[in-house]
Amino acid sequence: MQTKLQPMPSANPVILSVRNLSLQYAHKTPFESRTAVTALSNVSLDLVRGKTLALVGPSGCGKSSLARCLVLLEKPSFGQILYGGRDVIGLKSKELKDFRRDIHLIFQDSASALNPGMTIEEVLLEPLDIHEPTLGKKDRFLRLVSACEQAALSSKWLTRRPDELSGGQRQRVAIARSLVARPKILILDEALSALDLSTQSHIANLLMDLQSAHSLAYLFITHDLRMARLLAHDVLAMKAGQILDSAPRLFTPDIHAGPTPIGTVSTAKDTEGMRLHVMPSVNE
Amino acid sequence: MRQLAWRLGQSILLLVGVSLCSFVLLSAAPGNFFDELKLNPQISSATVSALQAQYGANRPLPERYARWVASIVRGDWGYSLSYHSPVGGLVWQRARNTLLLTTFAVLLAWMVALPWGIAEALHKGGWIDRTGEVILALLLAMPDVLLALLLLLLAARTGWFPTGGMSSTDAAELSAAAKAWDLARHLFLPATALALTTMPILARHVRSAMVGVLDAPFLTAARGHGIPKFRLLSRYALPVALNSLISLFGFSVGSLLSISLLVEIILSWPGLGPLVVEAVLARDIYVVVAATMFSAACLIVGNLLADVLLYCTDPRIRPVHS
Repeated sequence: MQTKLQPMPSANPVILSVRNLSLQYAHKTPFESRTAVTALSNVSLDLVRGKTLALVGPSGCGKSSLARCLVLLEKPSFGQILYGGRDVIGLKSKELKDFRRDIHLIFQDSASALNPGMTIEEVLLEPLDIHEPTLGKKDRFLRLVSACEQAALSSKWLTRRPDELSGGQRQRVAIARSLVARPKILILDEALSALDLSTQSHIANLLMDLQSAHSLAYLFITHDLRMARLLAHDVLAMKAGQILDSAPRLFTPDIHAGPTPIGTVSTAKDTEGMRLHVMPSVNE
Repeated sequence: MRQLAWRLGQSILLLVGVSLCSFVLLSAAPGNFFDELKLNPQISSATVSALQAQYGANRPLPERYARWVASIVRGDWGYSLSYHSPVGGLVWQRARNTLLLTTFAVLLAWMVALPWGIAEALHKGGWIDRTGEVILALLLAMPDVLLALLLLLLAARTGWFPTGGMSSTDAAELSAAAKAWDLARHLFLPATALALTTMPILARHVRSAMVGVLDAPFLTAARGHGIPKFRLLSRYALPVALNSLISLFGFSVGSLLSISLLVEIILSWPGLGPLVVEAVLARDIYVVVAATMFSAACLIVGNLLADVLLYCTDPRIRPVHS
C-alpha cells in the first residue's frame, strides 16, 4: 500500500531535491523520433524549508523549463525529483494531486495565467475545490479570507475578473491562489519581472513575510541580479541548460544566514530587518 | 436591453435594404411572367395586357414596391401569379418545412462537430487528429450534390429510408407517435446530407478554437495547480473557446438555409428550395423576393441569437456600470 506523499520530516531542512535532471525535446515525424533540443542537462539542486534559492541566467538557458519540470508540467527525460523521499516523476493521479497541492508555480505574466472568464473569488476557490473538496462552506470562506489577507488582497476585488485588475493586483491574486491550498514550495518564474519597481517591492516584501510565517521554500527564477540578492539565501547560475559549477558567488553562500540586502537609491533597511522601501504604487 | 433594441433596429433596416435590393434587381432582370404568357399562342395579347393592368405589372417600380410593402402589412407578401394565391401563406407553408429540416441539420452538425473538433485538439498531431483531418478534407472536397446523390443511392438500394417527401402516403391514419417516427425517417436523409456539408467546416473551427485555448498559459497554470483534465476542459477551455464558436453558430444557422435549397431539390423535401426554383423559372417575382427575405431574416436572427448567447456567456462583453 502506498503511503501518502509527505515532505521530509522537518529535521531535514531539504524539502525537495533535484538530481541529474535532463529534459530533451524530441522532433517526431511518423517515421522517426530524434532529439532536437536539450533544454536541461544534469541539473541538481536542493530547496530548503524557509529559504529562497535564486536561479539566474540568460533568456533561453532552461530556467523556465526547469520550473515546468518541477511542477511536472513537463516530463523530464532523465533524473529524479525527490520529495518526501520519493521520486515524483511518474506519480499516479492521486499522489500527483497531493504533490501538486504542495508545490505551486507562479508565472511572470499573471494576466494570462488567470482564467479570463472567472471572477477572482472563483479563481481562488478552484484549488480548494480540487484539493479539499470535503471542506465546509464556512471553512472554505475562512481559507479564502485568510489567503486574501496574507496576499494583501482587498475583498472588493473578489467579484472582479482578471482583466479588471492591474498587473500587481493580478500577481497578488496568483500568490493568493497558491496560498489557499497551503503549499510548501513556491516556484516563482520571473514572478516580479513584469511589474514596476514599486509593485515589485510590495510583492517582494509580501513574499518574504509569507516565507517567515509559513517556512515556505522558494525557487526564485530571475534574470534580475539585484532582486536575487535581495530575496535569496543562495543563488545558482544557469547557462545552456546546465548549472554552472564555477559560477561566481554573487553574495553569501550560507543558506542559514538571511538574505543580504542591497543598497541602492530605492532600497533601505528598516528596523525589523531587511525591507524594500519605495513609494507606494498607484495601483495598490 | 438597450443594446438588444439597437440591434433589432439595425436588423429591420437591413431587411428593408435586402427587400429593396432584391426587388430592384429582380425587376431589372430581363423577362417577366407576362413575357412567358405572350409566348403561348392560345393567350391573346389583349388578355395579357388586361392581366398586367390587373396585377399592376405595368406601373412604375416605386409604385410596385409601395404596393408590395402595403401587401406585407396585410400579411399577403404580394400575389403569386403562377400559384394564384397570396405569397405569404404559400412561402410560410414551405418555410416551416425548411426550418424543421435546417434546425435538425444544425443540431446534428454541431453534435458531431463539437466532440470531433475537441477530440482532434486534445490529440493534436496524433493519429486521431490526422485521421480526423483526412476524413474532414474528403467531406469538404465532396460537392453537396454528389453527397446528396450518394445518400439517395444508399436509401434506394437499402430501402432503409424513404427517398422523398416528408410523410408516407398513409400518414393520416397513423397514431401521433407513429407519425413522429415517420417524419423522423423522412427527415433523416436530407438532414444528414445537410449536416455532412457543414460539419467539416464547424469541426475545423472547433479544433482551431480549442487548440488555441489548450495552449493558453492560464490552462497550463491551472494544470500546474492539479486541476483534473475533465474540469480543465469543461470549466476552463470550453467556456473560453465558446466565444468564437457562438459567432460561428449564428452564421451556420443562416448559411444552412441557402445550402438546404439544393439538398431539398435533390432529396424531394417539400421546402422552400423546389418552390424558389419553380418561381425563378416562372419569373414569379414576389415568391422569389419573399424567399430571399426569409433567408435574410434567418441569417439576421441567427446572428442576433449569437449576440444574445455571447452576452450571456461572456461577462467581458457586457458594459461595465460604475
